[in-house]
Amino acid sequence: MGWTITIAFLVVLLSKPVHSDAKQDWLQICNMSLPTQTLRTEFTTSVVDHEYLVLFSGYYDHDTRLRYLQSALHGVPARAWSVVERDNPAALYPSDFDLIQMTERTLPDLSILKRHPAIRDVVPHRKVVRTLKYLHDEEDYKPYETLESMSKSRNRKSLSLAAAYWHSPSRRGRNLLRAIPKQITSALQAEILWNMGFTGVGVRVAVFDTGLAEDHPHFKPGRIKDRTNWTHEKTLDDGLGHGTFVAGVIASHKECLGFAPDADIYVFRVFTNNQVSYTSWFLDAFNYAIMKKINVLNLSIGGPDFMDHPFVDKVWELTANNVILVSAIGNDGPLYGTLNNPADQMDVIGVGGINFDNQIAKFSSRGMTTWELPGGYGRVKPDIVTYGSTVRGSALKGGCRSLSGTSVASPVVAGAVTLLYSSVLDREGVINPASMKQALIASARRLPDTAVNMFEQGHGKLDLLRAYQTLRTYKPQASLSPSYVDLTECPYMWPYCSQPLYHGAMPIIVNVTILNGMGVTGKIVDKPVWEPYGPHNGDYIDVSFSYSQTLWPWSGYLAVWIAVNKNAARWEGQAQGHVTLTVQSPAQGEETEPRVSHLKLPIRVKIIPTPPRSQRILWDQYHNLRYPPGYFPRDNLRMKNDPLDWNGDHIHTNFKDMYQHLRSAGYFVEVLGSPFTCFDASDYSTLLIVDPEEEYFPEEVSKLRRDVDQGLSVIVVADWYNTTVMKKVKFYDENTRQWWMPDTGGANIPAVNDLLLPLGMAFSDRVIEGDFMLNDHEINYASGTSIAKFPQDGILVTRTLKDQGHEVVNGDSKPAPNVAVLGLYQTSMPGLGGGRVALYGDSNCLDNSHMKKDCFWLLSALLEYTSHSHLIPAFTNLEPVTLPPAEELPVRMEGNHLHRYSKVIEGHMGTARSRPLPPCPKLVWAKPNHLNVTAASNLYQPQKLLSVNTFDVYHVPLPIGKGDLPDIEAEVKHVPEDTDTGLPHKTERASVFPALAFLGAALVLLFMLNQLYKKRTKPKRKRPRLKNYSRLVQGPSV
Amino acid sequence: MLTIRAFRRRWIFAIFLIILALFLLFQVFNETQSANASVYEVQHTLLRQPFQWHPKVSDVVGESSNITVCRNSVQGRQLIVDERGYICYHEGLTSGGCCSAQLGVSRYNCSTCKNNGCCYVYEHCISCCLEPQKKPILQRILQEARDNKEKLLVSVSDPFELCLAKCRTSSKSVQHENSYRDPSAKYCYGEDPPELQLVAT
Repeated sequence: MGWTITIAFLVVLLSKPVHSDAKQDWLQICNMSLPTQTLRTEFTTSVVDHEYLVLFSGYYDHDTRLRYLQSALHGVPARAWSVVERDNPAALYPSDFDLIQMTERTLPDLSILKRHPAIRDVVPHRKVVRTLKYLHDEEDYKPYETLESMSKSRNRKSLSLAAAYWHSPSRRGRNLLRAIPKQITSALQAEILWNMGFTGVGVRVAVFDTGLAEDHPHFKPGRIKDRTNWTHEKTLDDGLGHGTFVAGVIASHKECLGFAPDADIYVFRVFTNNQVSYTSWFLDAFNYAIMKKINVLNLSIGGPDFMDHPFVDKVWELTANNVILVSAIGNDGPLYGTLNNPADQMDVIGVGGINFDNQIAKFSSRGMTTWELPGGYGRVKPDIVTYGSTVRGSALKGGCRSLSGTSVASPVVAGAVTLLYSSVLDREGVINPASMKQALIASARRLPDTAVNMFEQGHGKLDLLRAYQTLRTYKPQASLSPSYVDLTECPYMWPYCSQPLYHGAMPIIVNVTILNGMGVTGKIVDKPVWEPYGPHNGDYIDVSFSYSQTLWPWSGYLAVWIAVNKNAARWEGQAQGHVTLTVQSPAQGEETEPRVSHLKLPIRVKIIPTPPRSQRILWDQYHNLRYPPGYFPRDNLRMKNDPLDWNGDHIHTNFKDMYQHLRSAGYFVEVLGSPFTCFDASDYSTLLIVDPEEEYFPEEVSKLRRDVDQGLSVIVVADWYNTTVMKKVKFYDENTRQWWMPDTGGANIPAVNDLLLPLGMAFSDRVIEGDFMLNDHEINYASGTSIAKFPQDGILVTRTLKDQGHEVVNGDSKPAPNVAVLGLYQTSMPGLGGGRVALYGDSNCLDNSHMKKDCFWLLSALLEYTSHSHLIPAFTNLEPVTLPPAEELPVRMEGNHLHRYSKVIEGHMGTARSRPLPPCPKLVWAKPNHLNVTAASNLYQPQKLLSVNTFDVYHVPLPIGKGDLPDIEAEVKHVPEDTDTGLPHKTERASVFPALAFLGAALVLLFMLNQLYKKRTKPKRKRPRLKNYSRLVQGPSV
Repeated sequence: MLTIRAFRRRWIFAIFLIILALFLLFQVFNETQSANASVYEVQHTLLRQPFQWHPKVSDVVGESSNITVCRNSVQGRQLIVDERGYICYHEGLTSGGCCSAQLGVSRYNCSTCKNNGCCYVYEHCISCCLEPQKKPILQRILQEARDNKEKLLVSVSDPFELCLAKCRTSSKSVQHENSYRDPSAKYCYGEDPPELQLVAT
């Protein structure tokens, strides 16, 4: 896959906040409730004793509600409460509330009900008497109380959500969109640093992009130190405008200003005008940058291939040679799992985009890094965010233009870093890629919108002045990103905060990045130590570590595995403690002792009693493969511009919405990063296998069969597989200059069929698409497979759809009658304890990547069946379907290379064979070192870096007091100019063109004069012409 | 006899021709200027860059280590090599950036280098490359770089810089762009690229 320039020519993004759904509902409703005359309901209420309304998070039928209540009240004696049955026609339909009656006088603690994930609220039952009257709206408009939200209409329900927003302090009515500042530099208050005399002098900044004209008027003469071309096009100039814009944001000194107008600019042309670029060009260009001793390098580019080892190694080499690399995180948002390389590397400053309203730009890539899947968990990226939407910068031929994209945000940070670098040139010894990143992270401010989590905003928004203050007093040290782990802090610590921990769950993993500003190389001395806080129940959690043996370059990881131990199997509450570790780097210069940094990572988790088996679901991550390393094609064949399946297929990346849906339906979802042989099936009700590409060990197949016999249910959501279609979707990869043939289809159906063989089920190699109705829901079936074999007594849902495989291969559309899309099967007689199996042929309606319409309701219905053995009415009265027999089952494509990327099979004499089954991961829990400390209730504090002379970082003097800082809309008043301030700056372009133009004009003039002269000196010619004229004029009269 | 119309036509035609000629002239001028800039630069500035074969710093390890200042390879994960060809761990560096006399210090260390001049360890590549016997190879490489006007190698000024630059992985180290020709022995001081390893099937 080639590199892409991460720019988006986006115009309309400004007004679109990402988390807009709830907010927009609310805005609409506000608009409706703001006429001058308001219908006001007045009511008197009285509490009905011992009766409580229980509000559920969704609409459930009677039995399900009862089950939820039973599980929520499982500690309370059964006779102590009862459900007040409703005797009205609505009782037949799903509802979102129940009325329960407490028979005992003593009120039990109703908050235990609220802990159940499917229960939204519990309120005392009230008798309400309403009267209506019209009001002239002069009184304060009061938000609705909870009571109002009880009424059963849909609109009101969303209003109660809105009311919650209303109450939150950060929300002040409707936000006005901020005016776009004229200068990006004043939005970050760069003038203050300019006024202190820092303008980038002495810093070498490299722009890796589409080139730059030598004489662009926005750059001070002589500041462009070097221009090199690494492409096959024979020019150094920018033909696109991208490189000019990026360089302008960093160093322009006119019209639209850049941050460091006096920095030395090194232009590297690594992108052609057709946006082509190769790894090898980058390798050579990077080598040149190292030799030129570049200080700051901006890479407004990125791609999904983090397994391009020559490139990734070279980026490490670059930062190891003290080049501060700033890179754009990508424009593939709002989808998760879309981080681009190299911005997703630990040693690189990865920059995301926000708009001038301080909201995450929709296009900004987000989500954890996916390198570490399936066995581990991703790191937090982007590192920081800054303005990347409708930023003004230099246009190709002078003048300004407005652009959006993270490749705009990246040079904003690169420019700021260049300016910062020049402001601390006297402390050059302590400035390195890690310390600069530490300073940016520690000084960044979280976005005011509290709904933005750390996988979207990283550490927050760049704050240039605080970064300056931090850097001014910086002392070489190591630090952690994130600097604390508070799994109760929502939503910043999403997704960790979205599901509490409990005994028996798969351990959760927090992947912390260690930044080491002490030296390019370092190590963790001894082992990290887990120190639980006695008074805070820290003993209830077990902690295990894995970490980088060597921290190089400037960074490493510390993965913390957290699990709840047996003592807390029935306990509920919060547990706290911290991890300490010591990082050491070799002594530098005159130092005699190695440099040492002691770090502390506070941890807080929420623990609940282990939920019942029926609520626990296991997500199979082990059998999901993705690009890179191999070509795993998209799951929806219509999406031709995004050929790859590259978002990680994790519940926290492209299956995020599905995960959230399952959570709010009350399920607990755990992730399996190891083979099926490594989990205890008696803990889980359903194993969820969605869009799998990996093969299966024979041991896994037999174990799963046994598990199903013993009551484990399985849901398989497959995808298309057809070798002819696979050959059709091969493509020529620009970067590797090779034809890419997919190694599986959307899913690996032959492997899935091996897994399903003992159950007598199989999928076909048909590729089906179309829309159909199921249970009053519209379903979009986008490039799915169909069920080819199913047990006779199973339930099958068939629909007539379109044969997309035929269309891809032959070009014309053909209907596919009676395709089996969904199958439900109870493996043995109910009551004998056999599990249930549900098959569905298309994963696109669960996957955020190319989703047209979600089918989360269908997943819920399938889980109702698999976990609770309850069939929704739509599936109960179906006609039995007999599948046509003897359909040939799909076979693996000849000569596929899956074994190169598989964890399960390996190549052997030209054929693939199963590898030996790997041992299951065994964690060694760290020996706890008990501490008797009480900790702060709020773990989050703006990260503080140690400073020299123990003097407060934020008292580094700035020329203007903080209160007097100019507003960002303010016009720029202090533009750094040459010594002749006040005079308009003269353009000093190379004078080739004007001279030529003058010469040309002179030639033309000469020619004309010559003609005129000829005219005058040749009277002979004149006469006939006159004659002609006179003839013409007089002709008619003669 | 020329009519006024014919004359006028020619007149306009001539102006048009002149403008076209000027435009073409400008284009050609511009093109050659920008395209040849790098070649020009290489020929006229970089090729005149003096290349000094003699070492700049004292040869003896640890001798008056407080005074001697060395350039070194900066980047290493563990190892580091100074401009005299001594290899040591980061911990073994003097304040001047030279490898000081201590256990494990070796000079001109080719221990992970293969016969084709490609090494497993970058620092070994540099150390090996600095060995005096390698001078003829370096001379050939330098000459070749000057002939091909390679920006990187023609701007070095002494053997250490040359070895530092030559040993890095580059466009010559890769096949299919995103994989190494030889993932293990990829740092080469010699003239040949790393041996092409077939991708395991």
